[in-house]
Amino acid sequence: MKNVILEARKIKKSFDQDQVLNLDIVKVYEAAFNFLLGPNGSGKTTLLNILSMVDTDYQGEVFYRGQLMGKQEGEILEFRRRFSVIWQNPYLFKGTVKANIGLPLKFRKSSPDIIEEKVKKMADKLDISHLLAKRSGELSGGERQKVSIARALITEPEVLFIDEPNTSLDYESSRYFNGLFSELVADGVTVLLITHDLYQIQNLADYITVLNDGKVVNQGTSEQVDF
Amino acid sequence: MEYIISGLQSALMLIINLDPEVTKVVTTSLKLSLTSTLLAALFGTPLGILFSKIDFKGKFVFNTVLNTLLSLPTVVLGLFVYSIISRRGLLGEWGLLFTMKGIIIGQVLLILPIVMALVRNAIHDIDEKMYKTAISMGATGTQQFRLLLSEARYGIIGALITGFGRVIGEVGISMMLGGNIKGYTRTITTAIAMETNKGRFSFGLALGIILLFIAFLINFIIYFYQIGESR
Repeated sequence: MKNVILEARKIKKSFDQDQVLNLDIVKVYEAAFNFLLGPNGSGKTTLLNILSMVDTDYQGEVFYRGQLMGKQEGEILEFRRRFSVIWQNPYLFKGTVKANIGLPLKFRKSSPDIIEEKVKKMADKLDISHLLAKRSGELSGGERQKVSIARALITEPEVLFIDEPNTSLDYESSRYFNGLFSELVADGVTVLLITHDLYQIQNLADYITVLNDGKVVNQGTSEQVDF
Repeated sequence: MEYIISGLQSALMLIINLDPEVTKVVTTSLKLSLTSTLLAALFGTPLGILFSKIDFKGKFVFNTVLNTLLSLPTVVLGLFVYSIISRRGLLGEWGLLFTMKGIIIGQVLLILPIVMALVRNAIHDIDEKMYKTAISMGATGTQQFRLLLSEARYGIIGALITGFGRVIGEVGISMMLGGNIKGYTRTITTAIAMETNKGRFSFGLALGIILLFIAFLINFIIYFYQIGESR
């Protein structure tokens, strides 16, 4: 059993009067593929938002390596910058692909030289160098997703949250990124992935949490959990 | 037909020779419109952002009033400001009537709702995912705000250009609050109205061509920004 890197306890989340999450405990294991499964509307993305600190308006506690993740502005940023999120329908900012990929480093006040070097390296790695000079509005759905993956990886996050990444990728690209995510996990990165893709679940999952109607209905290793 | 052609020829000569009277009227108009737009931008941009971001009781009523003000007739606004800055008005002592300042007050009030509403729309149109993405990328509050402005920049600039287009072409406010004083408050539009009435058709036509050219330029820039927005 690997170490727990993130642990959510007694999480409750409501939109207006509607309670969408009511969890006792959810654990995310370090340097492993953690899968979040469940039907549409079961609260998967809401939980991802909470664990990644994109949403801090909830009841309950989330611990990172045993340390409570506070909700004060400074604390939030400190934890948030250890994470990256790849969204199902990525938003790219107006401007070039190059500027988009370098933006998280700009937020961290990296020097322009370092940003330039890292963006080039990442684009080479993901085979999107030919897109760097293009404007974000000119990209296809698959290209947008690749750029968003490059942007998420450029900060070398400790935890990578991925929300159904394959919806706009073709078969070849999906396979390529599955391989890339596996390499990241082997290098010690923690991945939490929401998916409906059976291939990914069967071949990649180390740990699985199944949600239904905002509650955990099953949790454990991929061998223990019947999905 | 001959009358129009000869008028057009004389008008073009007035423009090519940079006729001092034409030049004076055009520079006065540009000075007034640019100052009014700048002041409206200064107040209207932050207010537009604010009203897009905050929720308050009666916001629907406020938005409806704001939208109504978009089509406010210039003579009505002129009349309203006139009643305030004329000698018997609330600010009568300040001597603003028939001055450049008087026109600027009227023009700022005319385009403030336009700038506010279009900036509000530009900010409102930004996808919610933008905020979520910026947050997930570790942006501070200030960085998120800068990003918001950057994403809405084409809409904001478009709002200011639209405001400029409205004031450069208005006649009611300039006439009522400026008094159409030659060499002082005479603008392109008030000059066209008066000089054509006096029978100086080619002079009016020359100014009309310049105004049309400015309108074309404004639309060209707006089109350029709209293309920028889609990318």
